[in-house]
Amino acid sequence: MPSESTVRLRRALANRGLTPATWIAEASEGRADEATVRPARLVEDDRLRTHSVGAGVPCPEPLAFLDGIQRYEITGYLDSAPLIVATVAAAVRERPGPSRRPRMVVRAERRLAIAQAEVLDVCDADLGDAQRVPLPEDVVGHPVREVQAARREVERARAQVERDVGARFRDRSDAWLIIDGALSEGIDWVTDPRMIGIVKSHSTLPFEGEDQVTYLQVPFGHRSSIFAPETRSLAPVYSWALRLWPWEGEDLFHGLIRVETRAADDTLGRVDLLSRWLLAERAPLSTPDSRWDRLLYGIHDVEVYLRTRMVH
Amino acid sequence: MTAQPDRSVAVGRVVATELKPSTPHQFHFWSDQDAPIGIGTIVRVETDTRRVFAVVTDAFAYSDLQTPIHDVIGAEGDPVLAERHPTARAEIRLFLASVLRQVPEEPLQPVPLSSVFLAGDEDVVAALRMDTYTGENSTAVPVGVYSAGGLDAPVYLDADFLLGPEAAHLGITGVSGLATKTSAIEFMLSSIFQTFPEKKGSVAAVCFNVKGPDLCFLDQPAEMTGEDEALYARLGLTAEPFRNVRHYAPFKPDGVNLNTLRTHPDLAHNTEPLVWGLREVLDYAEVLLNRDDIDAKADAFIDFLAERVIGKEYLDPTLRDAPFRVQTFADLEEFFRAIFDFMEAMGRGGEVWKTHHVATIRKVRNRLGNISTRSKGLVIDDGSVNDLPWGRFEDRGVLVIDVAALDPLAQDLVFARVVSKLREHLERRDLGVDHVVVFVDELNKYAPSDGPESYVRKMLLDLSERGRYLGLVLFSAQQFRSQVHRRVVGNAGTALFGRMDMDELATPGYGTLSPAVKSKLATLPKGELMVRHPHFTQPIFVRFPRPCVLTGREGVERYPPVPDLAFPAAIGRQLRQLGASVLDDDVAERVEGRREDDVRQAVHATRRARPEDPWAFFLACLGRTVAPEVAPPPRVTIPSVMRHDDPYAP
Repeated sequence: MPSESTVRLRRALANRGLTPATWIAEASEGRADEATVRPARLVEDDRLRTHSVGAGVPCPEPLAFLDGIQRYEITGYLDSAPLIVATVAAAVRERPGPSRRPRMVVRAERRLAIAQAEVLDVCDADLGDAQRVPLPEDVVGHPVREVQAARREVERARAQVERDVGARFRDRSDAWLIIDGALSEGIDWVTDPRMIGIVKSHSTLPFEGEDQVTYLQVPFGHRSSIFAPETRSLAPVYSWALRLWPWEGEDLFHGLIRVETRAADDTLGRVDLLSRWLLAERAPLSTPDSRWDRLLYGIHDVEVYLRTRMVH
Repeated sequence: MTAQPDRSVAVGRVVATELKPSTPHQFHFWSDQDAPIGIGTIVRVETDTRRVFAVVTDAFAYSDLQTPIHDVIGAEGDPVLAERHPTARAEIRLFLASVLRQVPEEPLQPVPLSSVFLAGDEDVVAALRMDTYTGENSTAVPVGVYSAGGLDAPVYLDADFLLGPEAAHLGITGVSGLATKTSAIEFMLSSIFQTFPEKKGSVAAVCFNVKGPDLCFLDQPAEMTGEDEALYARLGLTAEPFRNVRHYAPFKPDGVNLNTLRTHPDLAHNTEPLVWGLREVLDYAEVLLNRDDIDAKADAFIDFLAERVIGKEYLDPTLRDAPFRVQTFADLEEFFRAIFDFMEAMGRGGEVWKTHHVATIRKVRNRLGNISTRSKGLVIDDGSVNDLPWGRFEDRGVLVIDVAALDPLAQDLVFARVVSKLREHLERRDLGVDHVVVFVDELNKYAPSDGPESYVRKMLLDLSERGRYLGLVLFSAQQFRSQVHRRVVGNAGTALFGRMDMDELATPGYGTLSPAVKSKLATLPKGELMVRHPHFTQPIFVRFPRPCVLTGREGVERYPPVPDLAFPAAIGRQLRQLGASVLDDDVAERVEGRREDDVRQAVHATRRARPEDPWAFFLACLGRTVAPEVAPPPRVTIPSVMRHDDPYAP
């Protein structure tokens, strides 16, 4: 359902000669992924193996979760040039020591108006505090290409907001911080000794052949050997796969996450402890989210919080 | 001591959805889980232009869990593991509140989506519309304190709606032993006596003690706890027993020992017998006579007796030359005997006397004669009477009539006569007070919702429907309100509810209460009540202090009833109560060999006369001892024939 602010914007655009439009791209709230294999370098073991990590144990210290969301939609056309309005937001919610109830620590939100510079000029007065993002000249001329480019801008903006709230959180706390996604989003993150990235998507696989089978068939309560993803050459991290729920009878990826931490020797010593912490975080379930098998409840909690608070 | 919440800080927020919209009469709001809000809490919703006061009537909590099976899966089927989840699920406390008042009242609009605050003292006054009868020209009568969210705010009833003339009557309902019904009534009477405004006139109470020693010690102070004293102080009342109490109880069938548990000598100064004679009873014969038994013919004959015979000089030469002076049941029996003798003498054609058939006369004689038997102790054959002080009722006085040990029929007689006399005197404005509160316990017994029509029920219906115009107010207590006649229930302007039985709450009369309110009522602790009053648009929960009088049990322990005394000792005690300085031995010596009826009559006469020297007066009434006549020795007769062979011979 269109929000009140976008309805108002569309009315204003109509007065300026634009043709109002309503179209929300499929998966406009998530990142676009491309399926690929990027072989990784093993850091532990001579070949990829699986290790039992033991039963889940809650982290005894304060634990924080960081997540970001994005939402964009086409609100009108000036001739055939689309005007895309987007909102990106991120927050950190922390679960203080004895309390099991997360509380908000840092939150940020930005609005973007993405279009050809000429379109932004025409409707400038109606865009309020939205950041004007003109599309590069090389994508101009094809509406679909312009929307794809806008999407990339939205993802960049979201990543920036996430980095901002991550930095603000770290300024005030040295608690463990679990990030929804890869640590490579921020150069500071890959060197942070108390940050853990959780990657739910397996579009990019780190192994081929038998190792890939081993990797994808990690049993419940087990992890893979530690490896260093090749895609993180500029910002190296250590990573491992962890199965949160039995996958047999479900999908191959059911309950499978990839964990990222700082590429340091101390990671090798506490990989099982961190895995046990993460295993404990698989409950309560993040239902009704369809990704509940991989979505930690703490992350889900931040996401729900952001969606409820999002200004359209 | 818990910290007082800051009432200027919002504790919740009104929420409305298409499925659960706000209306002018109710709305939903959510609050922090730790907010001191529960069923019965009064809250305020505030905007720049409108204030809404409401009371919480239902509460809900739910989490983001889509289906319970997800919790089972998350905990791997182990409830202990669910408890160990590192993150608590997001959950909501959602409350349903029913509007008490909107300011301004017009235009009446849905409750705005705004912040919700805990009510303070002033909010409670405004929410319950108490601002219309507190302050100057106050008619406020404290009923208890509203205690929620760290607040102890006094709650007042409007005397104009409690004792008339706008509305009147009060009924309290609750299970036995836990609802503190009697305590609540005692507290309310004390509150009325202390706060009923002088300009509204005088007020007294007549309490029927129907079970055990419940109301036997209203003049005896109880020990108060600090909490009770604080409650009294908060309500602006003094914790004290009733100052002016008179306790009336009939005699036991022996005619000398009182039929009550208040027989301790220390309490004798204001304990009196309740004794009625034929005249007092006959006007209410209908109460005692089976309705199906008394047809129009019997009614006509009873009216004839009441109008022409009882208490008058009745001359009928066909019966006897001397006039009849029927004052007592014994006189009445003599009168009936004369009629039957006359009819027997008439032989054929003697079935009718003054248009009354002999069968009707016999029936009335049997029924009336039965009264003094069934009500022995209350109704005395000899015509002596000790009644309530009609015309001399005192302001703030309590008269307790102890009918606990009486036969149910005699109880009905007492109710009917006392309430009827109250009504008569209030109509004539010569009772001595302007308002009388009549307290009847176990009302479902005396004014049941079903069963045959009875005189007492008709009388209670009349009282509840018309009493408020006269200043005659019914305070009733009952275990099951649903079993009380609905016109009596409906006419009670104020209703109190203590701990309730769930089965009772399931009856249609409680259909307007939410399940949560019912649940609270079913678990209400002692000393808490739910109040319905014409000024309150929703029921309100209050806490009241225990009355500063001994409970029946405490009273019996502190003032144990004395065992029944032997006849001379009982007479001695009665004379001493009347002021005579006399020893039991002296009494025993004087009454030795005298007929007990003669002695009783002498005591009753002394009580009626209240002479300066009761002992001398008593002796004068008793008269001189008449020496018994010596019977002659039996005549010598011929002995019977003894036959030894007859085994059956004497």
